[in-house]
Amino acid sequence: MKRYLTALCAFLIALPLLLPLAGCSSAKKGEVLRVYNWEDYISTPKSSDGEEDESIPDLIAAFEKEYGVTVEYSTFGTNENMYNELKINAAGYDLVCPSDYMIMKMINENMVEPFSEEFLNNGTYSTFASPYIKNLFDKNGWTQYAAAYMWGTMGFVYNPELVDANDLSSWAGIWDIKYHKKSTIKDSVRDSYFLGVAYVYRDELTDLAARYAAGTVNAEEYSAALEEIMNRTDENTRNRVKDALLSLKPNLYGFEVDSGKQDMITGKISINFAWSGDAVYSMDEAEDPDGGDPVYLNYAIPEECTNIWFDGWVMPKGSNTKLAEKFIDFLSRPENAAANMNFIGYTSAVGGDAVFDEMIDWYDESADPENRGFDEDGNALEKYDLNYFFRGTGEYDDYSLYVSEDSMNRQIYAQYPTEDVIARCAIMKNFTNEETAAVNEMWEEVKGLPIPVWAYIAIAVIAAGIVAIALSYVYKGKRSEPKPKKGYRRVSSKEKP
Amino acid sequence: MEKIRFSRRQLCIPYALFLFLFVVIPMLLILFYAFTEEIDGAITFSFANFAGFFTSRAKLSTLLMSFTVAIISTAICLLVAYPVAYVLARSSLRKKNVLLMIFILPMWINFVLRITALRELLDLLGLLESQNYLNTIIGMVYDFLPFMILPLYTTLEKLDKNYLEAAADLGGNKFTVFTKVTFPLSMPGVISGITMVFMPSMTNYVVSDTLSNFNITILGKLIDEYFTTYDNWHMGSMISIILLVIIFLTMLATGGFKDSEKEARGANLW
Repeated sequence: MKRYLTALCAFLIALPLLLPLAGCSSAKKGEVLRVYNWEDYISTPKSSDGEEDESIPDLIAAFEKEYGVTVEYSTFGTNENMYNELKINAAGYDLVCPSDYMIMKMINENMVEPFSEEFLNNGTYSTFASPYIKNLFDKNGWTQYAAAYMWGTMGFVYNPELVDANDLSSWAGIWDIKYHKKSTIKDSVRDSYFLGVAYVYRDELTDLAARYAAGTVNAEEYSAALEEIMNRTDENTRNRVKDALLSLKPNLYGFEVDSGKQDMITGKISINFAWSGDAVYSMDEAEDPDGGDPVYLNYAIPEECTNIWFDGWVMPKGSNTKLAEKFIDFLSRPENAAANMNFIGYTSAVGGDAVFDEMIDWYDESADPENRGFDEDGNALEKYDLNYFFRGTGEYDDYSLYVSEDSMNRQIYAQYPTEDVIARCAIMKNFTNEETAAVNEMWEEVKGLPIPVWAYIAIAVIAAGIVAIALSYVYKGKRSEPKPKKGYRRVSSKEKP
Repeated sequence: MEKIRFSRRQLCIPYALFLFLFVVIPMLLILFYAFTEEIDGAITFSFANFAGFFTSRAKLSTLLMSFTVAIISTAICLLVAYPVAYVLARSSLRKKNVLLMIFILPMWINFVLRITALRELLDLLGLLESQNYLNTIIGMVYDFLPFMILPLYTTLEKLDKNYLEAAADLGGNKFTVFTKVTFPLSMPGVISGITMVFMPSMTNYVVSDTLSNFNITILGKLIDEYFTTYDNWHMGSMISIILLVIIFLTMLATGGFKDSEKEARGANLW
């Protein structure tokens, strides 16, 4: 016995020595940068289904070549997965790309390294990042720790032929019985909680918007008030949100994680609560279907408010910050940002003329590129002003696009909201652990309730059935073996006669 | 040179290692997480998760819902599978293999693909947007029916035909022969079928998510939520433990019928 134990111990000891050997097959050159990003979130010719398209720029390979380093690139599916991985493998990554609230959480928990002065003052990112985004980061105190990558809003993708656009000027639109079983929302606690809060406080929000429009509150006060409302997590709010979402549930087609885009394109549903980046994807695909007629979907951002979200780069404690900063700067070159936007479909936080040129190419409908603003018939196009985002990042005098009226509510609107939308954007912050737990509990109830009456009946019938069977066995057992008469002995089958 | 010989015990070492690394250690980890709690970065022993589960309306209703779905699916599987297995076991040999193949065939096609296809089919029938519960049960039955047919078929096939003849000789009509002889003797198959279907029906949330458009939450989904999005491994582990206990109790309850069929136990596949 001792021998086996020795063998077992030897094997167990040898195991960790053997494992690294398996990973050492490919030769490494130069420094290594370990990047941890969302799936499908960087321009690469290799798609996730294994196909390769050489025409798509490979940004990772380009970075490796230019700096003579190796990038170890891995991906995650949710912010929480990423966070857990970092907790377990703290020194495993040099650069990660979480969402807004997770960045706040990581900064609060002192998990990230600050950027160098050089990066903050003279880096490519600091040159080309949109002043709007930089301002937002400054205001919240994230600039030192995080560099924005992609950003957007939340709204509804809808089919204008089946849905009255006016109904979607309020978040309450999908509560309308007119759209019974025609809409989906996200199977995600934070996004749905936002929707619930916006619905519950819609009167207060509308009132606030009216006061802002009338000039009785200024932009800053408006923004602060919005943020306060949208980050309410007190018990009263939670209960009201729960009731609101429970009343919405039977009116929905369902919740979705990823299928909303496809269901929108195939026409199963006509309204989809979506992130702006996914909205662009749905609109693109529906306009250019593999077969059948094109459908022109629109994007709506209700009047009350919207949630501005972003994903950004942070450097975990102990990472190779020099190389990580170089990678962020590399991705922030406008031509690389444009390549990323092309591949991912989301909106880069970086401006610059290369990105704007791409936007002209995508969206501008002017007939004459030298004298923009008029279509082929000489009619004036609508001016779509993007100066708030691009001014200061490039050489142009005016960052405006000219689009037809129909296009005003399509991809461009999801990609870059207009300035009036920007005014009603607020960030949903990171909740404390207690708040998170309470909101999760609220969401569980929304998902788990109500139990239909028939389920109670079924349970009762099943319980009664089990009791009946058990009783019948007990009863039968007694009856089948009656006491033998006096003077007789029962011979069991197990005994030999 | 001496021949290399392995004793029986030595041959078990690979599996013992496997058992230790992938069964025992994870189980201990789950237990550890379930009965601990993290407060300000410090991990302490606690029953908070246990209490939390049984005081949460959401979790209890999820438990009730998964229980109902699983029991109904299992019952339907049994009702559908028994006649099929019975007929299969009695049919002549050549037909039998082909027929059995047809019932097992769906198991060879990727499970996610089958469920996605079923979603489209239910959509065509107009059930997808309204019948969340029905769809989930249809999905579970569709998915787990072969797991019910197989053990039933093996027990029924091995059943000694002499018993049936003897019962008939003693004056039992077909109905009596079935209720008094065939069915009791097939109990091991019934029980392994039930365990094979009941357990996954409580946890297979791909089916409920896909076919109910995320309207129905079952325990498996809740566990997944706690590990991936709620970032609370302690509660996730506690729900896993509670599920484990429920399944153990169900097996104990169904196993209670077993003692009279000790001889037939060989037929118990699983």
